[in-house]
Amino acid sequence: MSRVHKIFRKFYKIGLVLFLAIFLLFIFDEIQNLDIKRYLSEHYISEGVQETGAINLVTSVLYDYRGFDTLGEATVILTAAATLSFMTPIKKVKMLGTEFTIIIYQTIIIIIPFLVVLGMNLIFFGHISPGGGFVGGVILAMIPILVTINYGITFSENKLKPNHKSLLEGIGAIGFILLGLLGIFAGSNFLASGQANFGLGNPGELISAGLIPYLNLMIGIKVGAGLAAIFNSLIKEG
Amino acid sequence: MELPYVVVIILFYLGIYTIIMNKNLIKIVVGVNIVESSLILLLILISFKLGGTAPILDRKYELVVDPIPQALALTAIVIGGSLIAVMLALVIKIYKRYGTLNVDEIRKLRG
Amino acid sequence: MESAVWIILLPLLTAFFLGIFKLYSDKLFYSLVIVSMVIYLYLLILVINDSYPPKVYSIGNWGLLGINLMVDSFSAMFLLIIAILFITVIIFSLNYIKVNKHKFIILTYVMIAGIAGMVLTADLFNLYVFLEVSSMSSYALTAIKKTDKSIESSFKYLIMSTFGSFFILLATILTYYLTGTLNMAEISLEFKSVPFMIKSTIMFFFIFGYGIKIGLVPLHAWMPDSYEASPIPYNVLSSGLVMKSAIYALIRLLYVIFGVEFLTESGILNIGVFWGVLTFIIAHTLAYQQSNLNRLLGYSSIAQIGYITIGLFLGNEKGLIGGSFHILNHGIMKGTLFLVLGIFYYSLKADEIEDIQGLGYKFPVLSFTFVVAALAIVGLPPFNGFISKWLIIEAAIEAGFFYAAFFILVGTFLSLTYYLKVIIKLYTKTEKKTLIEKPDLSLKLPTFFLGSLCILFGIVPSLPLSLINNIPKFLLNNSEYIRILLGG
Repeated sequence: MSRVHKIFRKFYKIGLVLFLAIFLLFIFDEIQNLDIKRYLSEHYISEGVQETGAINLVTSVLYDYRGFDTLGEATVILTAAATLSFMTPIKKVKMLGTEFTIIIYQTIIIIIPFLVVLGMNLIFFGHISPGGGFVGGVILAMIPILVTINYGITFSENKLKPNHKSLLEGIGAIGFILLGLLGIFAGSNFLASGQANFGLGNPGELISAGLIPYLNLMIGIKVGAGLAAIFNSLIKEG
Repeated sequence: MELPYVVVIILFYLGIYTIIMNKNLIKIVVGVNIVESSLILLLILISFKLGGTAPILDRKYELVVDPIPQALALTAIVIGGSLIAVMLALVIKIYKRYGTLNVDEIRKLRG
Repeated sequence: MESAVWIILLPLLTAFFLGIFKLYSDKLFYSLVIVSMVIYLYLLILVINDSYPPKVYSIGNWGLLGINLMVDSFSAMFLLIIAILFITVIIFSLNYIKVNKHKFIILTYVMIAGIAGMVLTADLFNLYVFLEVSSMSSYALTAIKKTDKSIESSFKYLIMSTFGSFFILLATILTYYLTGTLNMAEISLEFKSVPFMIKSTIMFFFIFGYGIKIGLVPLHAWMPDSYEASPIPYNVLSSGLVMKSAIYALIRLLYVIFGVEFLTESGILNIGVFWGVLTFIIAHTLAYQQSNLNRLLGYSSIAQIGYITIGLFLGNEKGLIGGSFHILNHGIMKGTLFLVLGIFYYSLKADEIEDIQGLGYKFPVLSFTFVVAALAIVGLPPFNGFISKWLIIEAAIEAGFFYAAFFILVGTFLSLTYYLKVIIKLYTKTEKKTLIEKPDLSLKLPTFFLGSLCILFGIVPSLPLSLINNIPKFLLNNSEYIRILLGG
């Protein structure tokens, strides 16, 4: 009896999911027949470069038009890092892992400078080429992660202490808000850069786009430190 | 109806199904990840225009794809990544305390 | 309207600075907590005072191109709840929390920032981001005791809540796809030309997603567990603010984006009222069976959410006033109950109904506060809960939902039974128990403050109602809201 009941319940759930999926399919089908207005994005495409000074429109949306969202997501990373750091035990744990050959140890040492250059490039050229603070921060976070994987958690934490990581994270987040406050001090609103007459420069040059490169740098520091902290916490858990 | 939208729907409900039906905690987290990917795919699809270039206006362009969903996708990725990290940490903690990943067995152990 | 953005920035800045100070100096840490709390209180009062007529603040001075914050009476009422609960909880937890105290305070600040952001923003995607900020810190605060139960309930909360977030995100993306904008006012104007079926689907996604976060009955499974396992000061904020901010977001979306005509046409108002009735009947029944006081109060919270849902889904002026007033009142009443329970737990490790036997003679004033708050939450006259419940009943009769009005009376009886059970236990004589720790003034003072508000708002309801009476103007008639948001 219970077996039949179980099978029935399973089919019921599958049926429910299938029904919802088909329903959504019809909705999608219907949506595509509508004519869709895109005046906001058209405005961004036609005026965005003049208004923000950044050639990379995604960056200009992220850090200028919708900079407040970026502050929110930076807070989410910080919260996640904070959560993981209180959940991990303080004591040093032995990391599971394999011994690597000398080739890998030597290659890592060669790779690290390139990673630094690549990460910095992505951060500083975020407004004129593909890239930005998030991507650059992830690349920078790769360095402590690689070190942790190869040389073990003790060595990695000795080189870059957890306290320093949370300090860096805090500095990045506070820096973002302080840069935003510059807009208020300049007589405009929070997070205003072009609107508050910070020199936008010539679009396409390194020093241009007002506050965007500096905001990129702050987010880069924050994301890098945050992800490295998250990874190390997860390693310590296991 | 374009095929990519069908893929989005399949992925979305595959993930939902995984979250609802699976008993293994890791698989539930995988399901969450699948749903998140489907939503990011949807965002990219929305911004897509046939023949459009990436929204980086450093050379001549005729048609540029919509930059807003791409920015939203970045935000969604970051939020999703943070959620997954916290989830995995909790799963590790649960596994350490109960020695199992099965929902039913955890419930039994707790009594 | 500079101060509106500071409502979000100050807790964030404080949290980031606290994260740095924690590494170096304890003294700096606590002085910053106190200083920023006082400034924050001042800012909140400033903004609440200035909330009528509504003001718009444009982030980055972009106008409609960027993100806008808007303060109207509905959000001002939430800022009032933040002002009342946040201050009391921080003062209470300075002495109460023993494990991970620094992290608790930092995460509470982040959570307040998220809730303030949700309440103030007028942008759909920004709403989602701040929702995630506040939920993320909620998961962390649920797990902060690091016991088996708290880890497990935090995971459950995390999975269910993320499940809801996905539907909210899906609906947000579809809305952008249909309208090409994320500003609520522009969406509302564009939505007039969207077909009925698509609009209903998006509405269903929003309601399902937020329904999980609110804890309406079939979707409430995470809530009692998380109440049982998390520190009690967090429970005050959770029942008073986290759940309520989700219901705020839902109501804001429904009334502003979809408009009250569409809500009536699609019949969601009837469904909402029915759902509310179902929620509180089931939650009251489940609450009666609990032996753990935290779980009992958790189920009671779900039941009160049912009343609020009824009030807000009635779609008339009185219902909105009653529902909003009940949001405020429930925050205060449940806060008082939880704080008294927190003191019992602090001094005797008592959180089962059996454990509190005879405490009425040991802590006469505290127990009296508990009784006052319990009677208020049941809805007996001279207290504040009575007035808001009465308003909801009146509105239900006015809107023709006689069954809802009848069941609210039934629900009052149901809740009276289990609260009486607790109160009788409190005043049953028993042999002497030894105190583990004596509660000092910093724990008692916030409790008495909240308890006295229960009586104050019951005797002088016009005090908060002068603020709340403006709420329906911008919800029932969304064109007014849209005009101000577009014009600002």
